[in-house]
Amino acid sequence: MVNLTIDDKQVSAPKDSTIYDAAKLNGIKIPILCHDKKLKPFGACRMCLVEVEQMKGRQIPACTTPITEGMIIRTDTPDIIKARKLVLELLLLNHPLDCPVCDKGGDCDLQNLTYDYQVNSNRFVDSKFQHEIDYNNPLIERDMNRCVLCGKCVRICDEIVGFGALTFIDRGIETKIGCEFEKGLNCEFCGSCVSVCPVGSLLARPFKFKSRFWALNKQNSVCGYCGTGCNLTLGVKDNKVLTTIYDENQGFHKGQLCVRGRFGYQFISSDKRLTKPMVRKNGVLTESTWDEALEVVAGRLKGGTDVAALATARLTNEEFTLFKKLLEKAGTKNFDHSAGYAHAALTDGFARSFGTSASPASILDVQKSDLLLVIKTDTYETHPVVGFEINMAVKNKGVKLTVLSDKRGKLSKLPNAKTLVHTPGSEIVILNALAKAILDAKLTDGSASIIPGLPELELSLAAYGADAVYSQCGISAADINKLASEYAAAEKALIIFPVGQAYSGHTAELATAAANLALLTGKYGKEGCGVLCLSEKNNSQGAVDMGFYAQNGSMNALQILDACTSGTVKTLFIAGENPLNSYPDKDKVKSALNAVDFLVVSELFMTETAAMADVVLPVCSFAEKEGTFTSADRRVQYVKPAVRKGIQTKTDYEVFSDLICCLGGQIPPSTAAQFDEIAGRVPGYQGLSHASLRINSAFAPVSITPAFVVPKVPAPVTTGQGMLAMVTGSALYHSGTLSQFGEGSMYVCPEAYVELSRTDAAALKIADNDLVNVSSNAGKLQLKAKVTARMPSGVVFVPYHFSAAPVNTIWNGAAVTPVSLSK
Amino acid sequence: MNPITPILHGMKITFEHLFKKPVTLQYPDERPKVAQRFRGLHGLKVSHNKAKCVACYLCPTVCPAKCIRVEAGEDANHDKYASVYEIDMLRCIFCGYCVEACPVDALKMTGEFELANYKRSDFVYSKERLLEK
Ligand code: SF4
Ligand code: SF4
Ligand code: SF4
Ligand code: SF4
Ligand code: SF4
Ligand code: FES
Repeated sequence: MVNLTIDDKQVSAPKDSTIYDAAKLNGIKIPILCHDKKLKPFGACRMCLVEVEQMKGRQIPACTTPITEGMIIRTDTPDIIKARKLVLELLLLNHPLDCPVCDKGGDCDLQNLTYDYQVNSNRFVDSKFQHEIDYNNPLIERDMNRCVLCGKCVRICDEIVGFGALTFIDRGIETKIGCEFEKGLNCEFCGSCVSVCPVGSLLARPFKFKSRFWALNKQNSVCGYCGTGCNLTLGVKDNKVLTTIYDENQGFHKGQLCVRGRFGYQFISSDKRLTKPMVRKNGVLTESTWDEALEVVAGRLKGGTDVAALATARLTNEEFTLFKKLLEKAGTKNFDHSAGYAHAALTDGFARSFGTSASPASILDVQKSDLLLVIKTDTYETHPVVGFEINMAVKNKGVKLTVLSDKRGKLSKLPNAKTLVHTPGSEIVILNALAKAILDAKLTDGSASIIPGLPELELSLAAYGADAVYSQCGISAADINKLASEYAAAEKALIIFPVGQAYSGHTAELATAAANLALLTGKYGKEGCGVLCLSEKNNSQGAVDMGFYAQNGSMNALQILDACTSGTVKTLFIAGENPLNSYPDKDKVKSALNAVDFLVVSELFMTETAAMADVVLPVCSFAEKEGTFTSADRRVQYVKPAVRKGIQTKTDYEVFSDLICCLGGQIPPSTAAQFDEIAGRVPGYQGLSHASLRINSAFAPVSITPAFVVPKVPAPVTTGQGMLAMVTGSALYHSGTLSQFGEGSMYVCPEAYVELSRTDAAALKIADNDLVNVSSNAGKLQLKAKVTARMPSGVVFVPYHFSAAPVNTIWNGAAVTPVSLSK
Repeated sequence: MNPITPILHGMKITFEHLFKKPVTLQYPDERPKVAQRFRGLHGLKVSHNKAKCVACYLCPTVCPAKCIRVEAGEDANHDKYASVYEIDMLRCIFCGYCVEACPVDALKMTGEFELANYKRSDFVYSKERLLEK
């Protein structure tokens, strides 16, 4: 700690503080405009001037000056006030001052400072800026006339997002912020720049003119898209979610969001939402009443040995628990979520290797590690805010990054990142080869010898010599050995991989193979170490923790669909899942849903699956209900309704409660009491309650019982002559099939595409945006071509998500599908 | 006191008034002269053939009766304008804060005071009705 005097007050602050930090820590306010605690000090605006006695009373910026012992600082002498007023006068000189029509009004740092310092007139005269305003972008409006050149947007896009879309253009009075060659903005649209801009230069276009900042009701919530579990603030007016609001103090990510969280909120207050229950009468879905609909459903559930259920991983923990109770009451044990395989890495892989179905690492470990081994560059696309953490770890903390992937991507571009591009589908082979290399070079940690299963593992790895696997995976022995020794030598190392419905190759076997590496080298159970499985949806981990998956011989999701076709399952309850679009093999799903006697779907929207149902129940989104979500790294977070639900809609919790009552059960307890019961039962949740989570989210700790497990390696896929290897996955702008109803996501990524390498494109004479036919054994699909430099030749990538061009017409769940492309 | 005196006194006053100018107005045949700063029905000022209001939301914010509803829209030139501007005259307390708050001097209060109507909904004045004629 360093002692110093600020405004006659004796204070102390950590020695790496700036004057601004020290003052803030001690409750002394220094005005800032260009400073942001998340970004490196910049010192562009001179609003934060202070006087330091030791520097002969010179005025220096507080935000960039480190403190020293015994500093005597004054923050509010008349001279400083005068200087700050001058700064403001100069800023306002060319500023349009169109506050009445500027969406930033009321939340504008420049406006607030002008008001605080009572800058009512200007001693200078000059013309206003006449920069052209970018109205064309669907998400971000740029009006450089209002810019104060604080550089925050430039810096955040570079330092945290790692995209670098914006920069200073021109010099002197002409300086402005723009994109390369002054073109339009074509970036990740994470909106980070919008959120930090202190003035109205960068504005969220979907929210343009919708409301004033002060008229919005600010509701804290948790993002309803991916497993990162970012916290967000919804701006609500007249019971409609109009925008998301930036709060730099929210969550581990300090208010950073990705494009889905920031701009994909429209599904909540969409007018396409289902508003009334519907029952199929004479072959048509007709609007009905809850009483009728629930009666019909309860009638079918009763005595239901032939009942099965599929749920989306977006239900709350309380809803999963109650749904399970409902199904048990009906008499069935057949229920599952996420296509049955997207959770296998946890429920099967980690369960065997770590003795727990959760990741023994958290997102906070990313920046505390020394070496990151990321499997698939797609980690950035599936969990963008984790991607930001990786960016910051690499750029600010000098963490080493190696990416094992079947294509290059955003993460490959980070400084000193090494990307090992392998043959699609050979991840497990490489992980095994790494384990073998570690064993051969005797780099194992002492703790490994006492973990059961080591001899068997060693034996099973005999065939995975680094030289031997080259033909299978295309990674040289030197690279494998180097990575193995680096991983083993690093003091702290973390392995990260995403799972999801489109990542069918990221199986339990992959999880065990990755876990073996951590166990061999003792890289688990410590800060900055472990294996982090990024589960796909906002409550995928919760679904696993609540035990909502096939266990003890009950049917998993794909078996349930088969049983529908064969007639053993007669009633299928689908809560929020859209298998027709997101499960492999569309034809198979379709015939299963056709074959099943009775299909009930609870949904937000009339999805293609809901359209096939006999009863459709309109339910609530995350913003309309109370409950808890568990993020991929087991942060349990509480959500409360941000908007009132529709009059004729119910939460899933209410639906399950009502049905339990219809089946003659007792009225289930409130969600809070339900959670108390969960806390008493689920390992790691002890001591948590709605009341405590309301104040602070909490990690559910993971206890590890390590074991070496021999991963079963899938047979390598051979793509025949003239065929390409298709891998599926997620697009950055989307999450599951829900983001199709988030207009923000659809503005920038409205349709499916097939991404292919330049060499393949040249050979097939395909140009960007050409319509191409992609055909596989399973079928044929017409997609727009996207030719990129990141794809290796012979590999094509197709995202799922899209109903208009569902990839499951050509994909039956294989990790790698041989396809042919033609124009 | 003589009981007749007050009566005579009263008669005197009455008699005097017969020769004075009457204070009552023969409304509606006669119209009152409304003072310039009278705060009657609002008017939306027009300039260049459109309402001056830029939908800045300051009047609904300042209004103590919360009776103004504004919704902003974006016109072809990307400018902000009031796509909805409504005042509920049943709730208005004619304080004039809205006029004071307006940063572009788009609002005024007219001498119009005859606001009686048949239906409650008729008291909600839409933008068209408020535009200065
Ligand atoms: S940026 Fe701030 S000061 Fe400038 S016009 Fe907008 S609200 Fe007013
Ligand atoms: S939206 Fe995100 S990626 Fe795009 S310029 Fe802004 S910060 Fe950069
Ligand atoms: S656009 Fe906004 S954030 Fe970027 S430099 Fe200008 S004022 Fe700062
Ligand atoms: S989608 Fe995921 S990464 Fe993006 S804001 Fe939501 S939780 Fe965060
Ligand atoms: S006069 Fe007063 S009460 Fe009436 S609309 Fe204006 S601000 Fe509201
Ligand atoms: S805040 Fe310190 S120079 Fe801008």
